Amino acid sequence: MSAEVELVGAFTDEERLVHLIRELRAAGTQFRVYSPIPSEHINKAIYERSSFVRWFVLLGGITGIVTAFVLTIGTSLEWNLVTGGKPIASVPPYMIIAFELMVLFGGISALTSWILLANLPTFEPLSGYRSRFSSDEFGLVVRCAEDDAPRFESMLREAGAQEITREAA
Amino acid sequence: MATAVNDINLDPTFTDIDRSARAILAPPGYKYWIWIGFLLTLTLLAGALWTRQVYVGLQVTGLGDPVMWAVYITNFVFWVGIAHSGTLISAILFLFRTRWRTAVYRAAETMTIFAVATAGLFPIIHLGRPWFFYWLAPYPNQRYLQPDFRSPLVWDLFAIGTYLTISSLFWFTGLIPDVANVREVATGWRKKLYTIVALGWQGSDRQWRHFSMAYLLLAGLATPLVLSVHSVVSWDFAMAQLPGWHSTIFAPYFVAGAIFSGVAMVLTLLIPMRWIMGLEDLITPWHLDNLAKVILLTSLIVSYAYVVESFMAWYAQDPIEMMTFHMRYFGPWGWMYWVMVACNCLIPLALFSPRIRTSPVPLFIVTIFVNIGMWFERFVIIAGSLANNFEPSTWRFWHPSLTEMGITVGAFAWFVMLFSLFARFMPIISMTELKEGITWLKQALRQGYAKAA
Repeated sequence: MSAEVELVGAFTDEERLVHLIRELRAAGTQFRVYSPIPSEHINKAIYERSSFVRWFVLLGGITGIVTAFVLTIGTSLEWNLVTGGKPIASVPPYMIIAFELMVLFGGISALTSWILLANLPTFEPLSGYRSRFSSDEFGLVVRCAEDDAPRFESMLREAGAQEITREAA
Repeated sequence: MATAVNDINLDPTFTDIDRSARAILAPPGYKYWIWIGFLLTLTLLAGALWTRQVYVGLQVTGLGDPVMWAVYITNFVFWVGIAHSGTLISAILFLFRTRWRTAVYRAAETMTIFAVATAGLFPIIHLGRPWFFYWLAPYPNQRYLQPDFRSPLVWDLFAIGTYLTISSLFWFTGLIPDVANVREVATGWRKKLYTIVALGWQGSDRQWRHFSMAYLLLAGLATPLVLSVHSVVSWDFAMAQLPGWHSTIFAPYFVAGAIFSGVAMVLTLLIPMRWIMGLEDLITPWHLDNLAKVILLTSLIVSYAYVVESFMAWYAQDPIEMMTFHMRYFGPWGWMYWVMVACNCLIPLALFSPRIRTSPVPLFIVTIFVNIGMWFERFVIIAGSLANNFEPSTWRFWHPSLTEMGITVGAFAWFVMLFSLFARFMPIISMTELKEGITWLKQALRQGYAKAA
């Protein structure tokens, strides 16, 4: 069995890259894509399901609402002073606090969940990363057996790779 | 093939966008540091005035019964209002996929953060014993006291706190890919700073997948906040019984005024920045035109609110309400009302002219008037209504003190200083979003500079 290698291709044409990604995915090849912009097309070509971040945000929002009502109703009942002739637990004004905490907890969940799910923070560079992939080129890193490398190199070249380099995996 | 009009590249590539946006981050010259030094001096002077106020007491201000809310609370409401347009541009216009937002949203969002940070100082500055400001927050304490959650002031604490936090998270999230971009070309301490802020971002498919979802959801969460925060601030007044404050139109009226003043402040900052930093190839006259149209629309809404407010006072035939409005127009502070009408209703009408909307200098002048007008609007509503309360024998008009004026000027200096520092050390233009919508940018350049072509 031959050793594994990584082929790093640099692209400028997003559309041709997306086409190649679909081919690689259909063939069950292991790969990673770098992009200087958020690309809906690349995302859809790689992933069938949306990010789990949305569930964390929902959970955070619900936690915020529950926290707000527990805080407001709980403290009002604990210190039951009648003000303005209103009920001790006045739900309508407490909904404002509930709304604010829903947004606050939902937002904090969004930030923490996306950072953790994206494996950040990290100060170790991912394999195949080039600084220009944060600037003006797309990058595709294909992991394959050394024997298969020539076949993948030609696929990358046909898809418009400007430069292809081979690295030990 | 690239075509150029008056040195403006009408067909930029990703590399061109990076080159223009990264050029801003070049080490600034001595003029920049003189400017920062000037702003820092004004900020420190304001700090010294506040220190004296804390030491001596609130008698150094012009505050006195019945005008216990005047310049400080005016500044608070004014700066919260200024903060609005940033999130409007970054979140609401993101959800609507508005084409012109990409070039200006980072500057607007940055302005939002610093405006909220400025606004947040004023309720504390306003306190006689500022070290007790945390009493507004609910926490277990030995006094067995809890804040009244029916009070708009407590709603305000939650609203402003949430707004500052969510705006900051949204701003920080959007900033990460751009900081990673500049990290790749930075050297020395800047490289270390950008490496830490970028959290190790490399733009992999996995990172973008979660980033994009979080960004969309943060925009969705920030959108109702834009409308809610100034509504809550308006309820600080509308929930009171005071004539001039007790009005059901306050929430939409304040929100429209906030967007009006906020977009004006965005342009007040963007126009000189565009000129000083040579950003004509990224912020085109087409962008200025669209921002000016928002000012024009919100000016008309604000003018309508002024008319409706007066109509309601007349239609209700409540003598105290009518007297409040009579004093607002013709009382000792009447001139402020008419300054406000001139700046907010009449001068912005000039923006019906496409030539003014796309000419930086006239547009800049209009935005300065709008900033002045909106500050007076806040003052007229807050202090003006307090001065003419139910009991004429208590009527009293506030006189400005050096402390209040100095702290107000210092707040402007503090805000501009923070913005100036950010603009030179962090990416003030979102390269990522400009590249994502590069066809829109090319369209903006062609439309913006069509005349020159």
